[in-house]
Formats: sequence, structure tokens, C-alpha cells
Amino acid sequence: MSRLVFPRRQFLPAGLLVAGLVVAFVVTPRLRDGVAIAVAVVIAAASVAVLVMPNVRQAHPVIARALLTLVALDATLLLTFFLSATTDFNLAVGAAMSIVLLGLSFLTGASGQISLGNSAFMGVGALVVAMWADHHATTPIVVTILIAVACGAAVGLLLGLPATRLRGPYLAGMTLAFVVAFPALDNLFSSWTGGDAGLELPTPVTSPHWLAGYFSANTSSFTLGTIWMTDMTVIITAVAFFLMANLFASRAGRAMRLIRDNDVAAELVGVSLPRARVLAFIVSAAYAALGGALWTLINNSVSPPTYTLALSITILSLMVIGGIGTIPGAIFGGVIYAYSTNVITWFTSHVGIGSQSNLASQMPGIVFGALLILTMLFAPRGLTGALHRLREWRRDR
Amino acid sequence: MDAFLTSRIVSDILEGLTNGVIYGLIALSLVLIWRSAGILNFAQGAMPMFATYLGVIVFAGDFGYWPLVAISVAAGFVLGGTTERVLVRHLYGKPEINPIVVMVGFLIVLEAVAAAIWSTTPRGIPSPFSPIDWHLGGQPVALSPFSVYEIVTALVVMSLVAALFRFTKLGLQLRASALAPEVSRLLGVRVNRMLTLGWVLSTGVGTICTVLVASNFFTGLTPQVMDGIFAFGFIAAAVGGLDSPVGAVVSGVTIGIILQFVGDYVNSNAIILTALIILIVSLMLRPNGIFTKSAARRV
Repeated sequence: MSRLVFPRRQFLPAGLLVAGLVVAFVVTPRLRDGVAIAVAVVIAAASVAVLVMPNVRQAHPVIARALLTLVALDATLLLTFFLSATTDFNLAVGAAMSIVLLGLSFLTGASGQISLGNSAFMGVGALVVAMWADHHATTPIVVTILIAVACGAAVGLLLGLPATRLRGPYLAGMTLAFVVAFPALDNLFSSWTGGDAGLELPTPVTSPHWLAGYFSANTSSFTLGTIWMTDMTVIITAVAFFLMANLFASRAGRAMRLIRDNDVAAELVGVSLPRARVLAFIVSAAYAALGGALWTLINNSVSPPTYTLALSITILSLMVIGGIGTIPGAIFGGVIYAYSTNVITWFTSHVGIGSQSNLASQMPGIVFGALLILTMLFAPRGLTGALHRLREWRRDR
Repeated sequence: MDAFLTSRIVSDILEGLTNGVIYGLIALSLVLIWRSAGILNFAQGAMPMFATYLGVIVFAGDFGYWPLVAISVAAGFVLGGTTERVLVRHLYGKPEINPIVVMVGFLIVLEAVAAAIWSTTPRGIPSPFSPIDWHLGGQPVALSPFSVYEIVTALVVMSLVAALFRFTKLGLQLRASALAPEVSRLLGVRVNRMLTLGWVLSTGVGTICTVLVASNFFTGLTPQVMDGIFAFGFIAAAVGGLDSPVGAVVSGVTIGIILQFVGDYVNSNAIILTALIILIVSLMLRPNGIFTKSAARRV
């Protein structure tokens, strides 16, 4: 009987089922019934599905990933109702960032290359969303986002063409030149992009009427808007992670890991190096553009001077700190980014550095740069690697 | 003759040459490290920037221009050597993204620390050379005493580096330990010392370049002054071939002149775009650079 293969696994879904019911009871008084019931049903359905198919991870990996995504998504959405508007806003910013990290992680982890241009790709996505929304206000928001992603992918293709033949530091240097060029590009097309001043969205993104009724009735419209935007971002993030998890495990993903480990061997077994390298670069550019597009929607505006080399390096540090080439690493990085500003501000004020001083304004650069160097020197596998080692140590004991 | 010398084309060539030698110097310093250690130093703009601040602001108050320059370059030597000993030594033989990541981190730390201590306001370093162009028959020639100083200094530094590598015993040891470290070690070359020396030399060249940039009346010294120049320098080095010092210098000067024409005839925003296109096209045609023989990779 296949059921007996992993008997311990069954405790997890059973526990989840109970947790779902408890959560539903706790939540009901605070929210409209619809939301609470939806939350409980999703958790329960996911748990039952896992309960029925104990070896679901082996037999149906796609379903297993979908369920895991659903449960994580559900829990996060539920969380957004309880957090304050500022915390929700930070969460949305961090979720969008984790998409960017996932893209870079795929490029580095799967093909062993590094891009310093991801903040410029974010900028492309961010600008395209605002430009499109300014001219075609009636386009559904999802379509606008997809257009931005497509533009990011197209720019990625242009820059990625030489990547087929590049090894070592050339790609990193080329993408660095791209991010340094980004402000000039932005100014070159300033009649469309608004130059340094950037663009504002004509109307902020709000929830449709039929959905607004399901949210708690006595919250202010500002909080409502933030919750809606956060939930949108989290849902899109979940979809992006689900797609990427499947890509990681697919034939293309395996081929890229082989390229990273030994490109000559990969070529010998029939992997097309140029195609795989360009694909990895395009995917990472598209994911960065998606993150940038979401930032524009969250802020209702886009400010091109945000997308600098410094942001690219922050992205790189977050990826390295989280763990290169892993999905949990991207999530860790996103969470760290979401709340790092608060933590760093708290730290500087407690140490007694004036908030207006030069040192306080440069603190993020110093902290992220130092963490990047230290992680790379002493724990190159990042937080994910550390957790892995902890688990192995506990198993061995 | 006067009309020719003050014409738009000659002005562009002269101004392009002035910029180009700067790109060539940074490209040369990148090549020096790449050849000795196989690392592309992404902090090659930031380390000299920091050394220049150390020299100009910290150690030399009002000593006058030449002592300032000397102390800055000395600080560059020390910073380069220390960085190699402390930070880079652990990275030899690691996967090739490790040194890239560490040097990128070092770049942002240096820039942030410099901005925290000395703020981001530009600081002028008054040089004894006037930045005002000479005039011929009432028309300006695109050449000032300062730009002549820039070009001459760059050429002198380049020739000194070339002479060091070609004609001295030390240069021979440097080349040998880069080409065949094991054999050199067996023959009594102190390879580790040579590696450190490569970084010292390269940061020194970079610091001379930064001092030239920062003494320019129109730029001044800021923490991010070298970001753009590093990008151009990298493009020059990549187009010329990271292995080739001659290629780095030649393509640096050529790119400087081409970009000056683009900036004059098209648009100043198109400059970096053109540089990017030059880089992409040249990498697609000759991934190892124009001036290097394509080498077979051993598996």
C-alpha cells in the first residue's frame, strides 16, 4: 500500500484541517462571513486533497506545488486583513521584490550567471505600466501588467543575444552598463517616460464593487485600497512562484542546472547552450519587469531615479542572503526587503545616529553591502543553506 | 589652418581624445587585474575613488596639488594591496560568480561609507592647469592646458606600465606568474606577492585616473564619480579584450572619440546608448575582444 510509505506525512494535512477550522471560527467575527468561509474551505480542501493522496509529492508534483502555493497564499491573504495599512504596504513592496529575486535566482542558480541590470528591467516594467495606463485607461489591469512583462522580456531578449556566447564576468559587466545607461535612456525618450520626474497613474487601482462588499464594512477607504492592492500583489506573486517552481523542475530547468555545473557536459548530452542561456536571461528580465510593474501600481506612480545601480546591488544582496537558486531564498529576501527599512531606521535611531545625518541615509548601502560580502565569504548558500544544515544536524543527532 | 583646427570635427576628435585616455586608463587597470588574477574587479572605480578621498581630504590638507596627488596614489597602492590580502585572497579558485559578488558588495560599501563621511556634495581639487580652451584667431580650440595635462599624464602612465612589463625583471615575473603560476613558483617567483603587486599596480593606475577626473573643474570628487566612467572603461576593456592592455587603451581612446561625435551630432543622452550598442555588437561578433587571439578552452 502506497499509503504506508510516508505515514508521518498524514499528520500534517490532519493538523492543517484542524487549523483551518479553528482559524475560521476565530476569524468570523472580524470579517464578513464570505471571506472567513472561503479561507476555511481552501485550507480544508487542500488538506483533504493531501490526505487522500499521501504520496502526492511523488506522484503529482504539480498538484502538490499548487496546493502548497494555495495554502501559503491563503495564509498571507488572511494576514493582510489584520496588519496595519503601513505594514500591508511594506508587505506588498516586499512581495513584488520577491518576484524580482526569484527571476535573478533562476538566472544565477540555473545558469551560473549574474545580472546587475535587474533594477533597470524593473524600471522598464514600471514605466511601461504607467505609460500604457496613461494612454489606454480602460485596459484591464491584468492585461496592462502582461504588456509590461512582455516589454521587459523583449528588452531582455535584445540584451540577452550576446549572452549566448558570453562567459564569466562579461554578462555582469554588460548588465552593469545597462543599468548605468538607464537614466540616459529614460531621458532620451522623456516625451513618453516623463524623464526624471516620472509618471503618475491616472486612477489608483481599486477593488471592484462586487468584491468590496466582502471586506470588513467599517474600515476606511484608504485601508481598503491598501488591502486590495496588497492582496492583488500577493496573488500575482503566488502565481509567479507557482510557475517558476514548475519551470525549475521542468526539462528546461534541469538543463540549466547542468549548464551551471558543467557546460561542456551539458552540450555533450544535447542541451543547446545558447537557447538555455537566452531563455534564463529573458525569464529573469520578465520577472523583474513584473516586479517593477507592481511597484508602480502599489505607489500609483513611477519615479525612474529609483531604478539605480544601488537597487540592483540590493537585489543581488537579497538573493545571496536568501540563498542563490532557491525558492525559499526569494521569499526570505522579499520579507527582509519589506521590513529592512524599518529595522535599519530603528537601529540607527537607537544607536544615536541623527536621522538627518549622512550616515543614516547611507546605512542601507553599508548594511546590504557588508551582508553581501560576509554571506558570500562565510555562508555562500545563504539563509536557505543555513536552514538546510540545521535540519541535517538535527536529523543526525 | 586655423579654421581647420577650430572646426567642429577636430574639436570633437580632441575632446574625444581627452575623454578616451581616461576610459583607456580605467580599462588598463581592469586588464592588469584580470590578467594577473582572473577577476573582473567591479570595485575598480570605487577603490580609487576612496583612495582619492583619503589622500585629498584626510591626509593632505593644504599641501598644494602635487603632494595631494602623490599621497592619493600612495593611498591607492595601500588600499589595493590590503584589499587583495584581506578580501580577494579567499576567492581564488572559487566559482566565478563569487569574486564578482564580493567586489560588487565592496563597491557599494565603499560608496556608501564615502558618502556617509564626506557627503555627496562634489569637492573640487584645484589643479594648477587652466580649464579654459586656447583660442586661435578668435575661435576656441577644444584643447585646454588641463586637457593636455590629462592626455600627457595618461600616456606617461601607460608607457610606464608597458615598460615595466616589457623591460624589467619584475615585469617578467608578473607576466610569468599570471601565465603559469605553478611553473613560476617552482622557478622561485613569489606568485602570491606578484598577485598582490598586480592589485597594487592596478589600483594605483585607477587612482591616477580618478585624480585626473576629480581635478577637472567641471566634475569634482563625489562618491559616485567613477560609476559612469567605470562603465565606459569596462566597455573599452571588453571590446578590446580583457587580456590585452594595448587593446584596452586603443579601444578606450576610439570609444571616447566615437562617443564625442555621437554626443555632438545626435544627443548627449544617446552617448551611453551608443556605448551599450558598441558593446553588444562587439561581444556578439568577437566575444573575447578584438585584440585577443581566440583561445581554446581546456576541459
